[in-house]
Amino acid sequence: MLSWELPILLWLLPLALLPWFSHNTEKTVAWQAMLPHDRLSQFLTLLLKSLSSLAIAALLLALAGPFIPERLVERSRQGAEFVIALDRSRSMDDIFARPPRNTLPIEAFSTRSKRTVSGDYLLEFVKRRPDDRFGYILFSTRATEILPLSYNRDAILATIAAGGLGKGLSKTDIFQALSKAASLFEGEPYRGSRNILLISDGGEILDADEKTQLQRRLADMRINLYWIYLRTVRGMTLDEQEDDNLLWLDMPERKLHTFFKSLNTPYQAFEAGSLKEFAAAIDEIHRQQYQPLIVEERLPKQSRVNLFLYLALLCCAVLVMARLYTGWGVYRAYRQ
Amino acid sequence: MRLSYQKRITLTAIIMTVALILVMAALWMPHIKRDVKIMDALFVIDITDSMNVEDATLNGDKVSRLTWAKEFTRRAFLDMPCGAHAGLAIFSEARSLILMNPVEVCASYHDLTQMLNKFDPHMAWARSSEVSKAVYTAIRQAKEIEPEPTIVFVTDGHESPPINESLFPRFDGKPGEIHGVIVGVGGEDLLPIPKTNEEGEIEGFWDVNDVMHQDVYASLRADTNMNVPQARTEHLSSQKKSHLRTLADRVGFEFVSSPTKPGKLVDVISKVSETRPQTIDYDLYAWFAGIALALILLVYLPYGWFIRTDD
Repeated sequence: MLSWELPILLWLLPLALLPWFSHNTEKTVAWQAMLPHDRLSQFLTLLLKSLSSLAIAALLLALAGPFIPERLVERSRQGAEFVIALDRSRSMDDIFARPPRNTLPIEAFSTRSKRTVSGDYLLEFVKRRPDDRFGYILFSTRATEILPLSYNRDAILATIAAGGLGKGLSKTDIFQALSKAASLFEGEPYRGSRNILLISDGGEILDADEKTQLQRRLADMRINLYWIYLRTVRGMTLDEQEDDNLLWLDMPERKLHTFFKSLNTPYQAFEAGSLKEFAAAIDEIHRQQYQPLIVEERLPKQSRVNLFLYLALLCCAVLVMARLYTGWGVYRAYRQ
Repeated sequence: MRLSYQKRITLTAIIMTVALILVMAALWMPHIKRDVKIMDALFVIDITDSMNVEDATLNGDKVSRLTWAKEFTRRAFLDMPCGAHAGLAIFSEARSLILMNPVEVCASYHDLTQMLNKFDPHMAWARSSEVSKAVYTAIRQAKEIEPEPTIVFVTDGHESPPINESLFPRFDGKPGEIHGVIVGVGGEDLLPIPKTNEEGEIEGFWDVNDVMHQDVYASLRADTNMNVPQARTEHLSSQKKSHLRTLADRVGFEFVSSPTKPGKLVDVISKVSETRPQTIDYDLYAWFAGIALALILLVYLPYGWFIRTDD
């Protein structure tokens, strides 16, 4: 429970016994029998010696730096757990919501890449959700969990911010990303709503084996899936439309969407073609995910130095009074 | 020295009073403000294949260069003053990929080490190792971070494909614009490099015919003094100190070869960085309590064992 900054000082504790061996302030009396024996004096001697010992011990303990280490306590809050899987592939470097080149630009459009836009909205999202736990998956052709689920806001914000820097890597492997994201919840007790937030601009055709694997994992671990799909082809929707372009029928995005819909676990797709749609998607997830969640709160390390200092103060105060009284008595005795 | 009984009593009373006042000071003296110098550092760890060579020394054991780099970085975090910021990046192929922007090193120590532990060869997205270009990209990206961090680039300096000194990749930035330290890791001897497959698992070693032994551009030139036949040793790796020193000079970095104490490295980082002062509360309690303790002990030391005090 109690830890020490400098435990080595505890070896000095025997010094507290010094008062019992010291006779510095005693008067040598020629004949012991001349001393009056009263019980009060004997008691006071014992008391003062004990107090001196205690004062030395308390000061030593205070110097050793007692503290209660950082602790985790479980509290119930409103929130959810999120694993963010942000596509780091090359295509995410393209400008977000860019009008096709063969149209006249009627409205000004921003020239920021899909990755920076997603990063900005994610930062906003994380900042708005103080009690959530976040994990982060970096994925491209390979997925790596770079930040396991953590309550540390600074760390997750810094990781998201870093995701916006530099150029993209290679291609996208969504299956890898999702399995990796699901694995972050492995071995964790169920605390509340678990979500994977997949942000990507491409789809992928999964084979039957991968499909069953994913389906089982998500169901076993009770994970909800959100997919913010950054539209690459203007006008194409994930769901089939009446007036569909024939070219869109076999788009991997659509195949993936169909598979996600067939999952037994909750799934929702958001198609972001503009900044407004992206913001709306983030808002909607924010709104949906307020469920009871067991969160671990970190109680910071608490110093217990003052406790020992007060003890030392108390002992010293009594000792000083006794000393001053003795001093005054001796002074009077010698003056006479 | 002999003191009379009366003097001893008076002296004791005075000492104890001073001790009491000191204990009070330890309790109630307001904290004083003190400035510490803090820095922002971005640790870039080389995760290319050559980092798997086991020729770095850690606690007397031979470990892989990557293990050493990770452990050394972790210890450097511990040696950085609270308030300093540290970020993490990996280097593979020809670029540095920043994974976490600098965060306060004490509060986020756990997350930093968690991320650091994940660094292993399977994160590499390609199987080449172009150190100088990676340093350049790290510098470019550091400029986008506010405030600009000092780059701590931990690498063995093994360039694959190799580069000819006269055809050094061009550095567009200004040397010294971004401060940094290159930390060299690895031993002196040329050792075979473990080869990783697509999944990042180690499968045997790179063979002499698996790698290029000459700069691609140099080999295309008819220039004979550039194409001097050399020993074919590019499938072996050691710490390329001279190359790293040249590279450090080019970009205005410091070069530290196989440091032994993380504290020393932190000092170097602090020296090259544009540190900013941060005011911290400094509690003087330890001084007061310590002196009070010394005084009280002075009263009770058994002088009688050494000198005669009775009278």
